[in-house]
Amino acid sequence: MESDITHRGDGVAVLALRGKLNMVTAPVVRETITALVGDGHSRVVVDLAEVPFLDSSGLGALIAGLKSARQAGGDLRIAAPSEQTRLVLRLTNMERVLTPYDTAEEAFARA
Amino acid sequence: MSKPREPGTSLTLAEQQAIDEMARMRAVEELGVLDSPPSERFDRITRMARRLLGFEHVSIAFVGQDMHRTKSRVGAVPSEYARFGSFCNVAIEESGLLVVPDATQDPRFRDSPRVAGGPRLRFYAGHALEGPGGERVGTICVADTEPREFSEEQVAILKDLALWVEEELAHSREMSDSAQVQSGLLPHALVTLEGYDAAGLLRPVRAVSGDFYDWYPVRGGAAFTLADAMGKGVPAALMAATVRATMRAGSRYDGVAAAVESAAEALDADLESARTFVTMFHAHLEEETGILRYIDAGHGLTLLVRADGTTERLASLSGLPLGVGWDSEWEQGEIEMRHGDLLISVSDGVLDGLGGALDALDLVAEAVRGAPDAKSAIAAVASLVGRFPPDDMTILAVRRTPGFRS
Repeated sequence: MESDITHRGDGVAVLALRGKLNMVTAPVVRETITALVGDGHSRVVVDLAEVPFLDSSGLGALIAGLKSARQAGGDLRIAAPSEQTRLVLRLTNMERVLTPYDTAEEAFARA
Repeated sequence: MSKPREPGTSLTLAEQQAIDEMARMRAVEELGVLDSPPSERFDRITRMARRLLGFEHVSIAFVGQDMHRTKSRVGAVPSEYARFGSFCNVAIEESGLLVVPDATQDPRFRDSPRVAGGPRLRFYAGHALEGPGGERVGTICVADTEPREFSEEQVAILKDLALWVEEELAHSREMSDSAQVQSGLLPHALVTLEGYDAAGLLRPVRAVSGDFYDWYPVRGGAAFTLADAMGKGVPAALMAATVRATMRAGSRYDGVAAAVESAAEALDADLESARTFVTMFHAHLEEETGILRYIDAGHGLTLLVRADGTTERLASLSGLPLGVGWDSEWEQGEIEMRHGDLLISVSDGVLDGLGGALDALDLVAEAVRGAPDAKSAIAAVASLVGRFPPDDMTILAVRRTPGFRS
């Protein structure tokens, strides 16, 4: 899994992931988000446009990231999930807390 | 004055050898390596031996009563060969390490079939492999058709590789024992529920599963659970066993919501520190009326396939998985199972195995429609997915037997 971090002018960090978010890659993603939040970037967008598949471990990494961002007074939002990822969020009812945005720009647009 | 006879000292050498051989054979049988298919875990080690030691012929073989069975090999090594007179047998019966620089100069092997004929082996180096109890169960060995020297360094490498094989053996034994314990935790036939039949299937993608299904009698009927812990393998299986035990402990609660809420509360700290979550379908079925009260905690993969062919998905719009860290209210759903209706709940391994989209549930419904009982419904779904689902696959089915009008 490859990842890129961009810091936007409004203080939001955008973490763009590329590849499957599964049992193998989830721990790295979780640590990356924890490190971002630890460095004071508590508003994070995870851009999933290039993530074709997400399993339960991948969802676990996003949930862990959301928890640490909220504990630091911020939030974690996800952008451009694939159909498969949307289904995982829907079945688990996690779209209630991990609301998907169509693009990374739209997440935190009014923050 | 005669000395008291000490136990053991009266055994002849031959008797002692026979006892050792029995213990050795038992160890080989318990490891289950004699008739098992080739495995990448061992092939990796033979490839490594070939590169590190610079030999074309490498094998890992286990020793049966009178044959060696090759578990992994590169080069000209037969899949099995006679035990007695072989290099490997001498390696396991003597010091555990055998190096023969030139077999034509060694009276023990000069006339053996694979030296005098066949591949005309000249050089052999082999190290014994010990089972978990220290019995010599096989060898890892290298051979050449030219006489060669074998350095101290090479001996050390061969020994390390032998230890690696032994670790793999111990690990696979532990995993198959774990799988056995896990299948022991599955429920037995549900004899107490009249007018219904239930069946389940647990097919782990690794040795053990992170899913489980369960059922047990509760007042007026029975409780059913299908749950899926995040991830795969042993970590997920440990959590699945914990969740199962907690749910069973909560079976004294009357309602399904109370059972799930108390389990969620009890599990919260464990799930948090293990950084994991669990999705779950949990239901109580009232035997007399067929009323099914259920909670869906972020599972979403349960169907009621009616006798008339229509299908209802038993999901909730609000219930989160257990352990995600947000307060969730688990709303109780209620539906009537009529005669001939079939309840089927699957884990996401079934969904992934059928393309990963929600219409996979239509395929499941179609497959089980008209199934004469719960067991055949499960067989139909399993054959639809095929033998190798990408994730743990678990299926629970409950069918209410068709009513007869008088």
